Amino acid sequence: MGMEIVVEGQYLAVFNSTHRVLKAEALLKARKNQFMLIPAPRAIQADCGLALRFDPDQYDTIMYTLSEQNLLPAFLCQLINGTYTTIKEFQHENN
Amino acid sequence: MKTIDCRGQSCPAPVIATKKALEESAEGICVQVDDGAPRENVRRFASNRGYQVSENAQGNSWLLTIHSVEGVTPAAASAASEQIAPQTTGDRILLITSNILGYGADELGRLLMKNFIFTLLETETRPARILLLNSGVLLAVHGAETVEALNRLAEQGVEIFSCGICLDYFAKKDQLAVGQVTNMFSTAEQLLSAASVIKL
Repeated sequence: MGMEIVVEGQYLAVFNSTHRVLKAEALLKARKNQFMLIPAPRAIQADCGLALRFDPDQYDTIMYTLSEQNLLPAFLCQLINGTYTTIKEFQHENN
Repeated sequence: MKTIDCRGQSCPAPVIATKKALEESAEGICVQVDDGAPRENVRRFASNRGYQVSENAQGNSWLLTIHSVEGVTPAAASAASEQIAPQTTGDRILLITSNILGYGADELGRLLMKNFIFTLLETETRPARILLLNSGVLLAVHGAETVEALNRLAEQGVEIFSCGICLDYFAKKDQLAVGQVTNMFSTAEQLLSAASVIKL
């Protein structure tokens, strides 16, 4: 049995572009945001398989920053009752 | 019982001296070692060879009493260890020699290595041990993002060993956040006795 990388309530900003997620990671690190770049869990289908994991108290700051810098993910989901629930999908160019 | 003094010696010298002394006095020996890696490595070496080890603090150093297991003659213990050593232990070992996975872009390689280690948390099959060498030790020191995943693997029974020479080279000896320090003697023995070694 595998161990969960994500705990209940945490968000995953899932990216479909490696370059885009690396840009987002560098930006958020520079701004001292609390998050972790992780492989997307098996239950989530993602092209490049990378996601930013963060706690609910980081939601506003991180999503605002990503939006402001045009680095929004492909979609945002949250682990609720053990299931990854898609909160929002974003339309943008993956580059 | 014969006593050897290995105080002031750095690894792997105490382990090599212990091995030599046990070959001459298979019923057991006492070893004086410094605390830290020398103590841990000698204790682990003796335990892996089937000996019982008791430890007593002596000021700043330790006296390790190493003796054969009751009911097993020293010769048998020695023979058993000699038979086991060249054979496999059945363990699967993951040998990580860099903090970067693959060749090409270093930024991508760092990402891939972190991803690989986190992914081990989700796989059903895990290595018995992870040996970290060269810049691979940087994955297990304070501040590394991989410490979270390595800690959870350790909680699940995966043994994690970092090369002491390498930690020293990178001036990270006092910053190990997960697992134990090991030496080249133990590393070589573990690699040679493993059922399979996967090198990254």
